Amino acid sequence: MPRIAVIKFPGTNCDEDVVNAFKRIGSSVEAKVVWYKEFNEKDWDAIIIPGGFSYGDWLRAGAIAARTHTMEKIRRSVEKGIPVLGICNGFQILVEAGLLPGALLPNEHGKFVCRWTRTVIENPKGPWLTLASSGEELDMPVAHGEGRFYIDYESYSLLEKESSILRYMKGYNPNGSIYDVAGITSRDGLVFGLMPHPERAVGRELVPRGFNPGGEVVFRSIEFSLKKGW
Amino acid sequence: MPLTPEEIQEIREILKREPTLEELAMFEAQWSEHCSYKSSKRLLKLLPTTSKRVVIGPGRDAPAVEAFPGILVVPKIESHNHPSAVDPYNGAATGIGGVVRDILTLGAKPIALLDLLYFGEPGEPHSSWIIRGVVKGISDYGNRIGIPTVAGDVWFDKSFTKQPLVNVGCIGLARSSELLEGVVKPGDLVVIIGNPTGRDGLLGSSFASKPLAEDTDSDIGAVQIADPLTEKLLIDVIGELVKSKLVNYIKDLGGGGLTTAISEVATEFNLGVELELDKLHLRLDLTPLEILVSESQERMMLIIDPRNLGEVEKILAKYELPYSVIGAFNTTGRITARFKGRVVADVPARELAKPRSMRRPSKPPLEALRGLTPINDLPRVDPVDALLKLISSPNVASKKWIYEQYDHEVGARTVIKPGFGDAAVLKIDATDPRGIAVKGDANPRYTSLDPFNGAANSVAECYRNIIAVGAQPIAIVDELNAGNPEKPEHYWYFEMMLKGIAWMADELGIPVVGGKVSFYNEDHMGRQVKPTTTIIGVGVVEDVSKALTMEFKHYGSPVMVIGVTYTEIGGSEYLYRVFGLETGEIPRPRPSSEIRNAKYLIELVKRDLILSAHDISIGGLGVALAEMSVLGGIGVEVDLNSVLCRGCEREDEILFSETQARYIVELKPDKAQIALKLAEKMDIDARIIGYTIKEPVVRFRAHQSLIEVPLDKLSQLYYNAFEEQLG
Repeated sequence: MPRIAVIKFPGTNCDEDVVNAFKRIGSSVEAKVVWYKEFNEKDWDAIIIPGGFSYGDWLRAGAIAARTHTMEKIRRSVEKGIPVLGICNGFQILVEAGLLPGALLPNEHGKFVCRWTRTVIENPKGPWLTLASSGEELDMPVAHGEGRFYIDYESYSLLEKESSILRYMKGYNPNGSIYDVAGITSRDGLVFGLMPHPERAVGRELVPRGFNPGGEVVFRSIEFSLKKGW
Repeated sequence: MPLTPEEIQEIREILKREPTLEELAMFEAQWSEHCSYKSSKRLLKLLPTTSKRVVIGPGRDAPAVEAFPGILVVPKIESHNHPSAVDPYNGAATGIGGVVRDILTLGAKPIALLDLLYFGEPGEPHSSWIIRGVVKGISDYGNRIGIPTVAGDVWFDKSFTKQPLVNVGCIGLARSSELLEGVVKPGDLVVIIGNPTGRDGLLGSSFASKPLAEDTDSDIGAVQIADPLTEKLLIDVIGELVKSKLVNYIKDLGGGGLTTAISEVATEFNLGVELELDKLHLRLDLTPLEILVSESQERMMLIIDPRNLGEVEKILAKYELPYSVIGAFNTTGRITARFKGRVVADVPARELAKPRSMRRPSKPPLEALRGLTPINDLPRVDPVDALLKLISSPNVASKKWIYEQYDHEVGARTVIKPGFGDAAVLKIDATDPRGIAVKGDANPRYTSLDPFNGAANSVAECYRNIIAVGAQPIAIVDELNAGNPEKPEHYWYFEMMLKGIAWMADELGIPVVGGKVSFYNEDHMGRQVKPTTTIIGVGVVEDVSKALTMEFKHYGSPVMVIGVTYTEIGGSEYLYRVFGLETGEIPRPRPSSEIRNAKYLIELVKRDLILSAHDISIGGLGVALAEMSVLGGIGVEVDLNSVLCRGCEREDEILFSETQARYIVELKPDKAQIALKLAEKMDIDARIIGYTIKEPVVRFRAHQSLIEVPLDKLSQLYYNAFEEQLG
């Protein structure tokens, strides 16, 4: 059975929600919360860095966790072809660690924001989006204070050409992200980072009327990919 | 409140000698109003606190109530009014921290936060500063500790401009098998974990037990500083310690600090304790007196068997949480505190924690007559204009600006989210269909006009809100925010509010399993803020997928009113927002109608006859219908003549009366007849008053007139009014 490590730093708070997301879609992967100091790169087929406030978001969101020894191990795992997903604070950590390009700045309106948004996935590639189709609408909630994606034009053009981009639909950009970017993958799709919370958009009952459970495809995709390849 | 000369004499008699400075500080903390409940204890005995479901009642840091077989819910409420007046950000944040730690003491997992906030008008500069600070404090703290803030109550009134009321609640869940009831034995070790102790919050309970000074900045040292990261580690560590069954007892170091925590445990188990204060980990050099009464946050006391120390230390080391072992329990019955070998305090635990109770004189003030004045001959006003004023009232308009700053989704269990239902609904587990409903309520205007009936109405409203999402209420906790207990005219409000809660809870058969009292909510001129009873209620839902939100779902559905409307305009939002009046008889509490109408609504849910439900509260039928329309984006047309209204002679009475025990429900299109038959059978006053319509408009037909407001206008005001007023 594929094994997925859900990394917990001090202050991480969505770790159990991610494990539960696999349970709720009836997945048979073994997803486990792993304390960051106890992470052993050899044991895992995929890695998820969940949301929260690692180290209380001191300095900048994700800045301290990105400089831990654990992130070094995760960087080595990526080099070996292990898929990594960063959600919210996890995305911030991946960007701080240089595993994904761009930066995540404080929201334009200066406040924390928690609400449901609609996003669209463009050019899905890699193990986290195997089952998604280009242009598919994926609805998920956001909850963050520092989620405004920023990137220079040149790097953005590269992203658009080579990576998957998860984009807020018109009228749903909650934080002023440039080009409405909600999430991006690495060029090979192995590393995926996004601000919205897919684990909170699994199963009809958690989804408000008029939205779809847009997080499910991420968890189904990784299970599919780990079993059958991507 | 410093000790009185009589109290110091009493201490001399207890110790049979002159007390040391450290001992005096310990007595001051422990005998403060905040820790001892000396002014309220006698009356609190009136509250019904038991039911078949109550496993742990009042008395511990938190109660426990059985929600489902083997699943307990642990609700707790706290006030942080005084600290929030001085330092809104830290005052509110540390309020959250304290209430969460109370939940942890039973080994429960905190799953939801509620905030009940009473501020000055949003446009006023000082209250705007307080509003922004309090909301940011709750947001930054609650979000960081990973507990969703899912519900609450917000109210604006100029009496709260300088002294806001900040009541916060936390809901925990525990399996019966993991509940930490706790036993302490002689020889057990005292381990303090969490933040190093500092000088912040010195004698904070004593500060909260007197009126605010005119220059509140001078009290800043009594406010604690918030550190949510450490709180999050405490949550994780305690979860692991409880699962591994390594602790005998857990206690929060809250009001009164180490002194209160240790004396309450020693007294509960009839033990003594020997402490070495110099072993405690500190942020800076402190005197033994400061160590004994500091209220530094994010600290907890673990009481463990010495044999488990090694395992406990391993878990603390894993999370890098600072701790120190500072003493052990014994059979002496005395709290002996040493500092570098010198005994600085040696007091009998029982005398220190001894229940102190005093009978406070109580007398209704003249202004209480305002609540007895009937409202007659109101001038006629344009009902459209009145409805628009009401929907823009900050007490009615959407609180999106507030709740979107709270992570209300973390935990992935929030089924009914803020702004969509009368109560929040949370799943108890990822794959379990069962859930709980929670909501907080108050109406400061009602309780200030008529404290007995006002408090009873707060209990009833909370009950209705839980019913309206299709849940069954099982318990409430209460917070009484009152004035100066030393003034008979203030104390009367406390006494009447408490009796109102006790009466209504008894009538509805809902136990009051916990609560808090906050006195001295008065300004520096000695005027009390509006005395306010806040209630947090908990209910159970068998299947969360059937829980009801309030927004209209389809056009073409019959709209039904459950309950009789009376001409109860006194104390209403209508009377205040349109006429500037805060007088009159407030709506009568109607417990038997509450029970009957609730049963009917639950029956409609069971038989799958309804799509939405909303309780009728401030702003009356008119506002309730407008809210359902706005939230659903669906128009509605009703005939006011079909509303069963006794004694009503005017449209505004039907539209804006705040009579209790009423709901509006949207029925499934073809179920009107079945619902009416069921009402007849159950002897319920229920009427179909109209239909949802395709046209985007809210329309009331009356004898002589047609009242009509476009939906987009209502929506615009409902969603934006509060933020615009805040500026």
